[in-house]
Amino acid sequence: MREAQPLTIRQLAPETVNRIAAGEVIERPASAVKELVENALDAGAREIEIVTVSGGLSLIRVTDDGCGMEARDLALCVERHATSKLRDDDLFDIRTLGFRGEALPSIGSIATLSVASRPRAGAAPLEVVVDRGEKHPLKPAALNFGTRIEVRDLFSATPARLKFLKSERAENMAVSDVVKRLAMAHPGVGFTLTTGERTGLRLPAAPDGPEGLLARLGRIMGADFLADALPIAGEREGVALSGFAGLPTLHRPDASQQYLFVNGRPVRDKLLVGSVRAAYGDLLPKGRYPLLALFVTLPPAAVDVNVHPAKAEVRFRDAAAVRSLIIGGLSQALAAAGHRATLRGGAMTIDAFVAAATPQREASPSPNLSSAPRSSPPQAAYSSRASGFGEAMQAPFAAFDSLSAETVRAEDLPTADSIARPLGAARAQLHETYIVAQTETSVIIVDQHAAHERLVYERMKAMLANGGVARQGLLIPVVVTLEPDEAACLIERACEWAALGLILESFGSTAVCVREVPALLGHGDVEGLVRDLASGVANDGDTRALQDRLEAVCSTFACHGSVRAGRRLTGVEMNALLRDMEATPHSGQCNHGRPTYVELKLTDIERLFGRS
Amino acid sequence: MRLVIERGELLRALSHVTSVVERRTTIPILSNVMLSASGRSLRFKATDLEREVIEVVAADVTQPGALTVPAHMLHDIVRKLPDGAQIELVKDAEKERLTLKAGPSRFALQTLAADDFPDLAVGEMAQEFEVSASDLKRLIDKTRFAISTEETRYYLNGIYLHTAERNGQPTLRAVATDGHRLAQVELPRPEGATGMAGIIIPRKTVHELHRLIEDGAGVVKMGVSPTKVRFEIGTVTLTSKLIDGSFPDYGRVIPQANDKEMKVSNAEFIGAVDRVSTIASERGRAVKLSITADKLVLSVNNPEGGSATEEISVGYVAAPLEIGFNARYLLDIAGQLEGEEARFMLADPGSPTMVRDSSDDSALYVLMPMRV
Ligand SMILES: Nc1ncnc2c1ncn2[C@@H]1O[C@H](COP(=O)(O)OP(=O)(O)OP(=O)(O)O)[C@@H](O)[C@H]1O
Ligand SMILES: [Mg+2]
Repeated sequence: MREAQPLTIRQLAPETVNRIAAGEVIERPASAVKELVENALDAGAREIEIVTVSGGLSLIRVTDDGCGMEARDLALCVERHATSKLRDDDLFDIRTLGFRGEALPSIGSIATLSVASRPRAGAAPLEVVVDRGEKHPLKPAALNFGTRIEVRDLFSATPARLKFLKSERAENMAVSDVVKRLAMAHPGVGFTLTTGERTGLRLPAAPDGPEGLLARLGRIMGADFLADALPIAGEREGVALSGFAGLPTLHRPDASQQYLFVNGRPVRDKLLVGSVRAAYGDLLPKGRYPLLALFVTLPPAAVDVNVHPAKAEVRFRDAAAVRSLIIGGLSQALAAAGHRATLRGGAMTIDAFVAAATPQREASPSPNLSSAPRSSPPQAAYSSRASGFGEAMQAPFAAFDSLSAETVRAEDLPTADSIARPLGAARAQLHETYIVAQTETSVIIVDQHAAHERLVYERMKAMLANGGVARQGLLIPVVVTLEPDEAACLIERACEWAALGLILESFGSTAVCVREVPALLGHGDVEGLVRDLASGVANDGDTRALQDRLEAVCSTFACHGSVRAGRRLTGVEMNALLRDMEATPHSGQCNHGRPTYVELKLTDIERLFGRS
Repeated sequence: MRLVIERGELLRALSHVTSVVERRTTIPILSNVMLSASGRSLRFKATDLEREVIEVVAADVTQPGALTVPAHMLHDIVRKLPDGAQIELVKDAEKERLTLKAGPSRFALQTLAADDFPDLAVGEMAQEFEVSASDLKRLIDKTRFAISTEETRYYLNGIYLHTAERNGQPTLRAVATDGHRLAQVELPRPEGATGMAGIIIPRKTVHELHRLIEDGAGVVKMGVSPTKVRFEIGTVTLTSKLIDGSFPDYGRVIPQANDKEMKVSNAEFIGAVDRVSTIASERGRAVKLSITADKLVLSVNNPEGGSATEEISVGYVAAPLEIGFNARYLLDIAGQLEGEEARFMLADPGSPTMVRDSSDDSALYVLMPMRV
């Protein structure tokens, strides 16, 4: 054991200070890329080129055509707390991505940093080099207008950090993710990213306005998103919302394609996750997430960006207002999209057709056959099954199959204007399951059961919302024991539950007593419901448990009350169903999140026949 | 085992015992019925581990033995054989299968050993008494509709049978409730039942019992122990475990001071409720009762489907009242009443309402209103 000695306090050396700061600001190569690209954007660049080698560890180079720096600024920019951006030192009026004057000195303290710059009006290009904290005098350089920053041997001054890095591939992915996020927020700027030998990303500058934004988002989030994106717009009390959100039929198993930007800054915020869940609600199957990119613009004073070392999080002065703006904007767009199903369904169908139509010589039981739609030649499907021996097989009356395409009788034929409607005029019912309709530019195929189920469900939900919820009194009240804070949270919002038909009151400090329940739930498990509700409320303020149950009941009812597949519909009935779908919000997908119809564009069909 | 039995006898016994056999079970032997032949009789036994049914019928046994065979399959086979057929059942000791022969038909059924067949271990019955099948049937008939099917309050998943007193007379009382409504029916206490501890008879047992006393003829011998109940009905014995829990103090929910009395013709009432509730397409839709002097207006309003009203004249002199009920519940209760007139004892739109049968003092029903 050593005797504790009184230690004297001393000021840390500047390099040490910078390295400590670097530890927070520069976590991995991607963080350096982010800082450098942000600087380029702040400098007003129109074209930004990013090059990394070995996942950014041996080299990161960012070249821009922005405003550049004069000799004096160039000498200063690598100094700690030197910035050209913070006006009047006001942290509540931040209009640029940078504001601390911390990024360049931090990088310079842990790597070899070279900043070369040539302002437009200025004279010869100059370069400053900082080698792991040691700054060298300015020297001439060769460069067009703008700034070129090179970072070599990142973390060579803090080798401990190297141990925490992931594979080169993972670091490259992180770099690419950072660039993508910034590029989404700045569609007017061109980006090129080269990792190692490969040009990973080339995004030409897009025109201003929503089309430009959508084009940029499409390049990054994929063509499916481009086809299925709904424009989002909204404004309330000086907070503006814009961007694009995917139809509910376009979804993926994680939330990684949900982007939020606040004043042009990519941020991660739980607020987005919650709002998206609230807005899409029952439109999505469980465990699936929609794709979207939302842009919130608000006065700089209404948001604090100085809360996270990497600026990845922000704090809103009025988070509830932002949340309701997002929910409102999304819900509105989703409701307006109504029946619009994913176009992807149509494209996939066409692809399947094309695949099936392509002659395939080798591979005798074609692997594509099973994925081809049912309409592939029946003999083919038949013979491939016939090879299996031993299993009894009932041969169908082939003649009956062709009869089941019930064409619409003349008197049912719709007038010209229904062809102009989004879902067009019903032309036939196939296999007593699918309605085929014609619009001016496409063929629509509707799954009648799924479509009707959704219609019934939406109607029941509307009823629930309008007519209030009927309550059944309990002869024997149900007492549910809870954690004290759960019970308190639950009682606090008793009014909300009452509106949904659940009447409860406190019963001591650790229990609630349920007196009336929504009649719709019948003899459901009251205790389980209350428990779910309580834990939802106490943990993350999620109050959907009750509504979810009611909607689940509606949804099972809807399923039973629906036109089953297999019922023959008259032309009038079919057209009525189409018109109903057009008028009903969210009718583009069934309660299980599958599309209720697909649209085959004529242009796609023409492609099938090689007529494009 | 070797025996001959008449098809009608075999069918009757099988239809008594096989209904307790679950169609889907993870324990293979539970889908079987046990047959044991000895002396001049064949004994059938089936169980689902919670209850068992045993029946003994006469048979021409030439070689005793015991085995188990798939119950529903055997039942189906026997059902399809022609009336009056003589059926021969044979299983040789070294063989796995039971052969069933009837005229030109011949079946071989896979068996499992009788030794492995579960036994409910029916011990001593603490209390034994007799009750007429028709009385017992009435107790069940009028209460079983109110049994709860919701599993968290498991102690409500049956009929609570216990001794009580009414107007100073000892009674045997059955009560069932699902938390929304309650049914209570009594009969004069049978000799030997005094001192019986209250028991909760599980729902499935109640339905089995009901099937077995369908015709309401004869006398049922009941035996009760702290964990089991036994019913002997002619040649059939049903034994069941009891629900291990305590039934709530239901007396507190039976209103004592409901002073607004409405008398209504039960048939008219049922007809009217049934008609107006057509409008309410889904469950949970309320029927509103607007009661004024000697007049009842029933109405249903479904913003989607439309509305319906019907007026009937009633006997009512108290202050006007509006109260809502679940149409299904009203019909369930009114359907139990045998007398011409139904008597509703009301208090206010938020409190329990009591319904009684004008011709039968021994039954009462309590129903909680609905609110919109
Ligand atoms: N690509 C560039 N073009 C023009 N000027 C630049 C460029 N990069 C940096 N600068 C100048 O250097 C200064 C310091 O940059 P640095 O990134 O260290 O700080 P910052 O951007 O002001 O704040 P932050 O630490 O929040 O990023 C900036 O204020 C800016 O004036
Ligand atoms: Mg910066």
